[in-house]
Amino acid sequence: MMSLLVFPPWIVLVRFLNARNRLWLMMVMIVVSRFSIATNVCENASENVDVVFSHGNDNEEELVKFCIGNEIVGFCGYNLRKRLFIVVELSGMSSTNGTVGHIVSSSSGMSSNLHISSEEACSKKAPFINQSSEVLRSTAFRDYMKENNTSSWCTDSLPYFPDYPENCPIQSSNLQIMPCEDVGKPNDWQDWADQLITEDDGVTPNWNEILVDTTVADQTPKLEFHVGESSGTSLSLQVKSLVPASPGEACTPVTPSSCGSQSKPRMRWTPELHEAFVEAVNKLGGSERATPKGVLKLMKVEGLTIYHVKSHLQKYRTARYKPEPSSEGPSEKKPTPKQDLSSLDLKTSSEITEALRLQVEVQKRLHEQLKIQKNLQMRIEEQGRYLQMMFEKQCKFGIDPFQPASSTLEKSETELTNEISSSPAQTKTEPDPVKVGSPSSEKQEVELDPSESQPSKRAKLNESSSTESS
Amino acid sequence: MKFGKRLKQHVEETLPGWRDMYLNYKDLKKIVRLISSSLEYGKSEAEFVYLLNNEIEKFNVFFMEQEENFIIRHKELQQRIKRVNESEPSSQGEYEEEIARIRKDIVDFHGEMVLLVNYSNINYTGMAKILKKYDKRTGGLLRLPFIQKVLEQPFFTTELVSKLVKECETTIDELFPTVVVAAPEMKEAAIIMAGEGIFRNTVAALMTMKEIRKGSSTQSHFSLPVLNLPDTELIRSFQFNSPIPII
Repeated sequence: MMSLLVFPPWIVLVRFLNARNRLWLMMVMIVVSRFSIATNVCENASENVDVVFSHGNDNEEELVKFCIGNEIVGFCGYNLRKRLFIVVELSGMSSTNGTVGHIVSSSSGMSSNLHISSEEACSKKAPFINQSSEVLRSTAFRDYMKENNTSSWCTDSLPYFPDYPENCPIQSSNLQIMPCEDVGKPNDWQDWADQLITEDDGVTPNWNEILVDTTVADQTPKLEFHVGESSGTSLSLQVKSLVPASPGEACTPVTPSSCGSQSKPRMRWTPELHEAFVEAVNKLGGSERATPKGVLKLMKVEGLTIYHVKSHLQKYRTARYKPEPSSEGPSEKKPTPKQDLSSLDLKTSSEITEALRLQVEVQKRLHEQLKIQKNLQMRIEEQGRYLQMMFEKQCKFGIDPFQPASSTLEKSETELTNEISSSPAQTKTEPDPVKVGSPSSEKQEVELDPSESQPSKRAKLNESSSTESS
Repeated sequence: MKFGKRLKQHVEETLPGWRDMYLNYKDLKKIVRLISSSLEYGKSEAEFVYLLNNEIEKFNVFFMEQEENFIIRHKELQQRIKRVNESEPSSQGEYEEEIARIRKDIVDFHGEMVLLVNYSNINYTGMAKILKKYDKRTGGLLRLPFIQKVLEQPFFTTELVSKLVKECETTIDELFPTVVVAAPEMKEAAIIMAGEGIFRNTVAALMTMKEIRKGSSTQSHFSLPVLNLPDTELIRSFQFNSPIPII
């Protein structure tokens, strides 16, 4: 069963369900940027992208052709046996042979921001982008096609893969390759999955996450893709996905040390650090004159890399020369200044001031509520943790956990109830001391083993690994 | 699906650059449902955790980037104020204009920071809920240890942003003339201006929060209490019923 929705003009939502394998499959189609067809398409905004499904064969491959009008824009295929998707985008769609195809995949290491957790001061220099990226030549694809029984693909697709010209830049387009199950032996598909898109120097791509992960199964990430206009006449496609990251990066965030060289060092700036930065920049003659290298040297902060400085400098420059608002996209803010002007004309300055004052009041109120809420949430969790600990202790000591004999447990539960129900929604300066977070008062020296499974309310026993997997 | 609906509404109303940065609550819920009917329990849990970690990563990256921007803008605003107060030659009119601009900017800046804290909170809430659903449907024990980890994540540790918000408020107090009573016309003007920009977002966020915390069927003594805002009516009057989200 397949469903396809096409919204004019540019939003295509595809959800592909293969009932046989009870897998949710998804396809992502990436469309081109800067190819002539893209230009055509952009100019004729009424054209829609059609998705043509053609069904499988012995190889259990299913192929989807993406067409605009009569021209094929891309392919997406799924090989059930190998459980891999491959998506191809075509460019320069003259119907004969001026076309170019390339297959790309990438991993999530494409974020242009790297960060180091400030506590850890990692001194190792992580590469800016974790994985090198290169465009895969279409010849490899052709080889694959030959190897894998080209009859599985639409036959009219073959002529569309000449050599890929090197100077064809790719701008904010991406493809996904998603294996849906363990792929035992390395194969061509896997190689493909490892190859990434090159990045233009001047372009900071806004890569959404792309996955290659052989351990993902039974997934149902639903992917939406919007085809919209990006800079210039190129189409850009943003893929929203639930499954980013490459296999090497299956590490928990904010612990780069546990991930070895694949880790993404994350930098968390502080006002003090920024002060040092500004000082250094001023010493070097201002934000225009200062270079990242110079600033880095002057700042002398361990663990800071030139990439951090570079991106920070960029932000700094933007903030200076396009003061407020600088961090939002242009679309949101363009209407506002215009309205400001007209409303400034109509209103007296005191009215404006009053309006602003009101705005601040509301914002303050929101902030207050958020802080209270966060506080409560934290205490709920703390309470939960405490209760769990108590419970485990009792189990260890052979007390029947289901009997309401535990006065401590009851007491702590009532305490929490009282605290929560009595906590006012208004301003609360200091949270009441959490009376329950004092296991030390128990005087029992019990070694708590959090991986011990809880018999409470749970039908299944967990393997200890799954509890600790987080 | 109440939270899911609220979340979706919020995402639609929020700042454009932020829309993709929220929790994929709906999809995760589907996955939980799928997992609960699948047999490969252990493996599915690992994958679910993997997905959650990716969401967390997404939050962290976005949050820290916004935080960085806020640090820069905060300093810049202070510089602007300093500059405007120190520069003598400009005429009174220009001075007033610049101050008015700074005031508007700083108030919007304040709002944006608060919205980031709100972002953090909403995603945390969603995470907590999805974990609870997971445990409930699969009989797992994922929630408690996992949420402990979430509590330590950068996106949840909003202290710095809150500090900046406070500092901003101090600056605002200094910047605005000491107030007299606001006449009704003033309030009206304010309400008209409230339909635009950041103010609209913060009002919407406040109302969303209230909605999310309305009593539900699963309310227990571990749930957050119902939110009672004294100014609900006033704040509600700020909301403009535009069926078409303003981009």
